Amino acid sequence: MANPHANPEALRELQDAIYRDKVLRARAMTPDQRFAAVCELTNGVFERMHEGAMWQLNTTDPQVGWAEVRRRMERLTKTQEFGYYTTEKPSRT
Amino acid sequence: MKVEDLANLVIRACEAEALDYMVTGAFAFGFYGIPRSTKDVDLVISMGASDAISRIISRLEPEVEFGTQVQFDTLTWGRRHVGRSRANPPLQVELFELFDDPFVRQQFARRRQLFSNQLNQVTWLPTPEDVIVQKLRWGRNKDLDDARDVLAVQGPETLDMPYIENWCTMHGTTERLQVALAAIPPM
Repeated sequence: MANPHANPEALRELQDAIYRDKVLRARAMTPDQRFAAVCELTNGVFERMHEGAMWQLNTTDPQVGWAEVRRRMERLTKTQEFGYYTTEKPSRT
Repeated sequence: MKVEDLANLVIRACEAEALDYMVTGAFAFGFYGIPRSTKDVDLVISMGASDAISRIISRLEPEVEFGTQVQFDTLTWGRRHVGRSRANPPLQVELFELFDDPFVRQQFARRRQLFSNQLNQVTWLPTPEDVIVQKLRWGRNKDLDDARDVLAVQGPETLDMPYIENWCTMHGTTERLQVALAAIPPM
């Protein structure tokens, strides 16, 4: 198979095909199934984060793993929200 | 604690306090778009009385630790109260006070009541059109992707596009809408 990165048009077609597949799969689900999928994905992501933190810290103590996940989530939230939220409202607004 | 259990707790707290609410964020987006994971449970709450938020926070306090300071978003200056679940995983709870912004008011007035099997209860969600308008208004990369995804999954032909276009004109986000629509390949 040719490398699609060598051909911008082919790359665009590949990107569109992947995206189309995602959209069609979402359309095939009911709204309630999509809602349930949000929960399943979220719970799964946190389980993977926990496993990854325990592996990185070389620990078998689940609480140590969760403490690290908590620390990471706090850092991630601060990074993602920087500039979008503040604790002081300007007086002119 | 699973994310749906936390969402249930927050919704039941609103109902116990007889406060009108709607679920926003990834839950609302997931209902209409391509499901993705989230790190928080977001609700907009209608403030019936001045102590409404403190009553909700008191109810949730055994399960959710809230910060002492209210936060303001720098786009509309709406008030937000942020907490984190005491149990693992450390999910965030965000409570937004309904305030006098014309779009936010209309979005809230148009919210829909739906039954969720996952939550095993009735809940309130914004319309897909309002999710799109809100995402385009915020305009972060993630929001723009979400807006495109709701447009793609729902299909513009099924949406009230004049309503969306009208708010985009008022918010100065028409170009963002056009970019989102242009990014959807033929289905």
